[in-house]
Amino acid sequence: MELYSFGSVWSVLLRDPVKPSVESPEYPPELARLPPGRHGLPREFVSRNQRERLIAGLAEAVAENGYSGTTIAHITRHAAVSRRTFYEHFNSKDECFVAAYDTVMTELNRRVGEAFEQEEEWPQAMRAGLEAMLEFLISEPHLARLSMVEALVAGPVVIERYDAAIQSLLPYFEAGRKGRSADVLAGLSSTTEEALVGGIVSLISRRIFADRTEELEALLPDLVEFALTPYLGSTEAAKVARA
Amino acid sequence: MTSNSTRRPLPGRHSLPRDFIVRHQRERIVNGLALEASEKGYRAVTVADVVRRAGIARNTFYENFSSKEDCFLQAQRYAMSAALEEVVAAAGGIDDWPRRVEAGLAAFLAYVARESALARTCMVEALAAGPAAMRSYEESLQSFVSLFRLGRDVSPYGGELPEALEEALIGGVFWILYQRLSLAEAERIEELLPELVEFTLTPYLGARAARELARSKDGVPRGKEVV
Repeated sequence: MELYSFGSVWSVLLRDPVKPSVESPEYPPELARLPPGRHGLPREFVSRNQRERLIAGLAEAVAENGYSGTTIAHITRHAAVSRRTFYEHFNSKDECFVAAYDTVMTELNRRVGEAFEQEEEWPQAMRAGLEAMLEFLISEPHLARLSMVEALVAGPVVIERYDAAIQSLLPYFEAGRKGRSADVLAGLSSTTEEALVGGIVSLISRRIFADRTEELEALLPDLVEFALTPYLGSTEAAKVARA
Repeated sequence: MTSNSTRRPLPGRHSLPRDFIVRHQRERIVNGLALEASEKGYRAVTVADVVRRAGIARNTFYENFSSKEDCFLQAQRYAMSAALEEVVAAAGGIDDWPRRVEAGLAAFLAYVARESALARTCMVEALAAGPAAMRSYEESLQSFVSLFRLGRDVSPYGGELPEALEEALIGGVFWILYQRLSLAEAERIEELLPELVEFTLTPYLGARAARELARSKDGVPRGKEVV
C-alpha cells in the first residue's frame, strides 16, 4: 500500500513520476492504480489522494507541454485517474492549476520562512532566505517553471495570486528597516521593498524561462548584495553577500 | 486616450493617402490587442476580439498581420522602440550620468503613463506570448542595462558592484510600473520618478548622494525641457 502512504501534497509533488502500468480501455486509470475490488479505504481518504495526484499530474503535464498545450487528458493520464474523477475535484484546467500554484507557493514560503527564522541577524537571515528560495527552485525545475513562468501564461486565473505571492515577500525586506539610522531610513521610500522584490523575481524568472535554471546558484551573492544595499550600503552589503 | 485611436475612420471614399490609412489601421489593431490583453490576458484573446475592438474587417487584420502572435510581436517591437526613442531624445544630450538617468526615466514613465495598455501588455505578457516575444523583451531590457552600466564609471564602488545589478534594477522598476498599471493608477505613474531615481542611483552613488540628487528638483524631470 505504498501508494497511499503520502503524508502531504508535497510528497506527491516531489515524487518521481510514476507511469501507469496498466492502460486497458476497460479499466479507468484509477482502477489501474487502486487495488481492484473492495479495498476498504475510507472514501474521504481516496478522494484526497486523488486530488493530490491530480495536482501532481498537472505539474508534470505542464512541464511537458506548457500551460497552453496542457489538456485535461494529459493531467488525468499523469495522475492515472479518470476524466470523471478530474471533474469531481475541479471544474476546469484553470482551477486545477490554481490549486497546484497554491501548493507550490505554500511550500516555497515555508522553506524561505524557516531559513530566515534560523538566523539571528537580519542580513544573514536575508541571505539564508534567498538561498533557500534558490535551492528550492534549482532542485524542482518543473515546479520552478510552473510557479514563475507558467503562472504568467495562465494569466488572469492566477495573476492575483501571483501578485499576492510576491507581495508576501515584502515583510522579509521591511524587517531590514529596524534599527537603521535616520539617515538610512530617509533614503528608503514606500516602493523600495517592492522594487527589490520585483528585481529579484525578474532576475530569477528570466533565467527559468530561458531554461538556465542552473545559473541560479551562482546568482546568490548578487541577489544578496542587491537586497541589502539600500539598508547597509554597498560596502557592507558586499561583505555579507560574499562571506 | 488609446480608445480615441481605435475609432473608426469615416466610411466611403476619402482622400487620405494610402500609407496613412495603413499606418492608422495597424495602430488601431495594435491598440485593440493591447486593450483586449490587458482585460483578459494575452492567452485568452482571439483575432476576432481584436478585430471587434479595433473596428476593422477581419481581412484587414490579415492584410497587416499573419496571426495574433505576429501582431503581438510587432506591437511589442513598436512600443519598445517608441519608448526607447523617447528616452534617447530626452536623455541622450545630457553628459552628467545621474541626470541622464533621471531624464531617461522621466521620459520612460511618461511613455508608460500615456500608453498604459500597450506598456502593460509588453511588460507583463511577454512571458505568456512565448519565446520570440521574450527575446524581444530581453533585447529592450539590455538597452536599458547599458544605460545604467555607464554608472559604474562614475561610481566609487564601480569595480565591486554585482554583475547582475543593472538587470535587477530594471526588473524592479518594471515591476513597480506593472503594479501601478494593474491597480489602474496610470495617471500617477509619473509621481514615482523621485523614488525610482533614488532606487536606481543608490547602488552607484550611495544612499545620501542618490537621495539629494533625486529630490533636488522637486520631482520635476529635467527631461521635460528636452522633449
